[in-house]
Amino acid sequence: MALVAVELPRIGLVMENARLVRWLKTVGDLVRQGDPLLELETEKSVVEIESTQSGRLVEILLQVDQQARVGDRVAWLETDALTAADQGRRAKSVPSDTAAEPGPPQSTAGEALHGMPAADQKPIPGRIRSSPAARRLAARHGVELARLAGSGPHGRVQLRDVQREIETQAGGTEAGFAARRPRPLSSMRRALARSMTLSSSTVPQFAVERAVDWTALQAFRAQLIAELPAGSARPSVSDFLLQAIARALHSCASLNATFSGDASSPDAALVPAQGTHIGLVVAVEDGLLVPVFHDVEQLGLAELARRRRESVARALQGKLRREELEGATISLSNLGAHGPDRFTALINPPQAAILAVGRQRDCVVASNGHVQIRPISQFTLTVDHRVADGRLAADFLATLTAIVEGDVWRVP
Amino acid sequence: MFRSEATGVSPPDWKQMYRALWRIRFFEAQVQRLAAAGEVPGFPHLSTGQEAVAVGVCAHLTREDSLFTSHRGHGHVLAKGCDVQATFAEIIGRAGGLCRGRGGSMHLVDAAHGVLGATGVVAGNLALAAGAAWAAQAKGHDNISVVFFGDGATGAGAFHETLNLAALWKLPLLFVCENNGYAEFTSRDEHSNVTQVSAFAAPYGIAASTIDGNDLLLVHARAGDAIAGVRRGDGPYLLECMTYRMAGHFVGDAQHYRPKEQVAALQARCPIERLKRHLIERGVAEAELDAIGEEARHEVLQAVERARAEPRPDPATVLDYVYGSPGLATQAP
Amino acid sequence: MAQTFIEIVRRALDEELARDPAVYLLGEDVAAGGAFGVTKGLAQKHGALRVRNTPISEAAIAGVATGAALRGLRPVLEIMFIDFATLALDCLVNQSAKYRYMSGGQLAVPMVVRTQAGAAGGAAAQHSQSLEAWFIHVPGLVVVAPSSPVEAYGLLKSAIRLDDPVLFIEHKRLYAMREVLPETPELPAIGKARVARAGKDVTVIAYSAMVRNALEAAAELASAGISIEVIDLRTLLPLDMATIGASISKTHRVVIAHEAVRNGGIGAEIAARIGYEMFDDLDAPVARVACPFAPIPFAPELEQALLPGTRDIVGAVRALSG
Repeated sequence: MALVAVELPRIGLVMENARLVRWLKTVGDLVRQGDPLLELETEKSVVEIESTQSGRLVEILLQVDQQARVGDRVAWLETDALTAADQGRRAKSVPSDTAAEPGPPQSTAGEALHGMPAADQKPIPGRIRSSPAARRLAARHGVELARLAGSGPHGRVQLRDVQREIETQAGGTEAGFAARRPRPLSSMRRALARSMTLSSSTVPQFAVERAVDWTALQAFRAQLIAELPAGSARPSVSDFLLQAIARALHSCASLNATFSGDASSPDAALVPAQGTHIGLVVAVEDGLLVPVFHDVEQLGLAELARRRRESVARALQGKLRREELEGATISLSNLGAHGPDRFTALINPPQAAILAVGRQRDCVVASNGHVQIRPISQFTLTVDHRVADGRLAADFLATLTAIVEGDVWRVP
Repeated sequence: MFRSEATGVSPPDWKQMYRALWRIRFFEAQVQRLAAAGEVPGFPHLSTGQEAVAVGVCAHLTREDSLFTSHRGHGHVLAKGCDVQATFAEIIGRAGGLCRGRGGSMHLVDAAHGVLGATGVVAGNLALAAGAAWAAQAKGHDNISVVFFGDGATGAGAFHETLNLAALWKLPLLFVCENNGYAEFTSRDEHSNVTQVSAFAAPYGIAASTIDGNDLLLVHARAGDAIAGVRRGDGPYLLECMTYRMAGHFVGDAQHYRPKEQVAALQARCPIERLKRHLIERGVAEAELDAIGEEARHEVLQAVERARAEPRPDPATVLDYVYGSPGLATQAP
Repeated sequence: MAQTFIEIVRRALDEELARDPAVYLLGEDVAAGGAFGVTKGLAQKHGALRVRNTPISEAAIAGVATGAALRGLRPVLEIMFIDFATLALDCLVNQSAKYRYMSGGQLAVPMVVRTQAGAAGGAAAQHSQSLEAWFIHVPGLVVVAPSSPVEAYGLLKSAIRLDDPVLFIEHKRLYAMREVLPETPELPAIGKARVARAGKDVTVIAYSAMVRNALEAAAELASAGISIEVIDLRTLLPLDMATIGASISKTHRVVIAHEAVRNGGIGAEIAARIGYEMFDDLDAPVARVACPFAPIPFAPELEQALLPGTRDIVGAVRALSG
């Protein structure tokens, strides 16, 4: 029998660590290769991790709510291969905290017959006695145990000592104390911060802009919805845009690639995508998620609508799988009817572009020498200058505009 | 053709019984061979030389009769009709053994054939057999319970407690004592002042007799009478069969404690040899008898090879069958 | 109308005998009513074959009960004092507990061994012990210890219906306790503890007669402003660690109280599991109130000095609350 460590894998481009949501197997369970083993909350979503080995789960090292970094050992599996070298390789990976207390004193005639220890024993200098529950509360609120006088036996710091400290430090209640402290970011917000920092500091981006007329699309959409059977997913504006982007990418294939490597070294390369994979920016409770739709050029509006509805639902529940967040070369960000007139979105590395769609406004336009009022939005396309320059970006945007303003759509 | 003292008992099917004797003999020889080669975990106890008791008694038992035996029980289990391969597989600890590898040589159980258990605690099986007999009596069935034990069990309190209770409740229970003159490594006269085990029966009000346990036809006849009486509701019966162990106390035991002349003499008392001579004297062709022996040997060898090829138990199942009630297994520590 | 523990257990046995023809009672003097009168009248009502006297042969009668269970009866064996279970240990430990496992699941032993434990009124060392800890050490056994008449009624019926061997441990000092059996009494599941009294400051885990002491302690402590949560284990094997854990995650402090000797008692097993499984929830070490390490003496003053009671639970809780 060999002991094999289960290590935290990297998920996604910018993941560094994750929080354990729950174990899907318990100690003693048999695990087959490929079985879901645990759920992690990464910066982007809750992800199921499968076991890469078969064996029996013999020890869990990472507890619920604990953080771990990529590569950390989170559990031990016992597999069938027998190697002597594997014995004794079971070092713990989670650190222990303050010094353990010595055992209870031997029974003496002076103690109560039924064995409760006498309450008036002196503290031992140089050691912090504290109960596990007190330690946990103190850690959660950043209280230093060493500064507290323990009210428990042997000078032990107990829950009430930590609670009192929390209240007096804040000069108020425990809740007031919490409000003034710097608040750590959730893992999702940390990931967004890293991603956008990476984008803005390493990707040379520029933007091109067009005003786009919704008239034809809206008419088509209304007609389409009227003809749909009851209960089917109704194509939204985003679904239309996803298809339009896919078709425009098809025409401007050079934009359907990502930059890889170092610009100052010979290994810099453009990696063309196999198929049109497009991300859709979705606002969730604590931030953003970008589920990716793969091979959009093969999908009609009805199918896109169905998939988009399902993916968004899962994004909101934090249940997107790893492969649903990867592979896009371009994303769509539509801030909707209450969004700004125009905005410039930052590219999601490693993608090559992002399309920001401003809110629809009735605008005065000149058409054939007459003044008309049309529903218009500003489309702002941000592009990675290492992948494309102004001409290509402009061509793409023009092609896209023509599709959106046209009345040819693939439906089923 | 054969004199039978029994009434109402059908004449022995000597061919089947002759084969049954050899089957046990060859089975035990294979256990001994594989144990010497290190393939048998634990310490199996062989009943070589005591086959006639098992075959003669079990010939009168139905599948529904309960059989209990001791640590030296392979012969009884086979004689009751258990599958040779499954029995051997259990002794060598295979997953497909009778008890899924959880019991082994000293704890053979085959509920489907009425073998309710061997036990490794001397005299531990006596009261269990009385309990099974009580259940049959309580339900009004005419099944009986048979328990095989060695003469060493008569030193245990449970032996006397069970005789007492079985007689008081008139249980349908047959006690069969295989008295081979040795308990563990000590001869009987160092164990008890009572030389004849059947002498224990009378004070409790139990019918008993002592016979030459190596005379198959005699065992068959007397056991038939006894079992008929037990089934009729006459109460328990104690049948003492004098016999002789031809292998040591357990496999690996060097037999230092038995004089060599004794060992040679016992070969002359081998129950298979005796039956063979008896049958030849009555006109059965030796060649036919040899052929039956050869069939039995072949049957056992095949079963043993198939058993050896069976898979071993999966360690992942080690906690299965501790409890049966739903919910207890998952909660148990 | 309130009935005693004895009357209510008798009623449970009576009803089970009537309900299931496979149920049989056996034991020393059971047909005559038993040493404590629990089975009084049952032989007359159900027949001498269903409620059967045995000689003083604990080894044999445990074996007979086991063998009968193998063949489909559901025997309820009475062992007069748990102290005498020692004579039946070969059967209970080497046979009854292990038959299902050793046979690879072919056979089951659906039997109940009813016995009683505990000290009362000078019964002295050989008739006063609490030996339940021995039996939780045996895989395959189930051990139940009811804390009151109504609890005993339901738990005994549940035990009789279980397909595994159950040691059902009553308590001498509870035999005279009176309770009213509800119209439709509950049949609690074997293996689940109950919260006998909810509280928030300290968890007190007890079973059998000590539950009554714990509840008395709760009342006294309440008037001093300390709220204890009393857990009645009901089943000792298997232990319901889930209920215990839920309580400790609320109170963070725990006292285990049992009449049995502290050294190697069930409290040790529970404390070890709490220490390991609920370490971070603890605000104080796990305390045990139990009998000191001596046989139960004969003279009343000595017996009283030794036995743990309500005072000791109150003291232990107060020591934890300081």
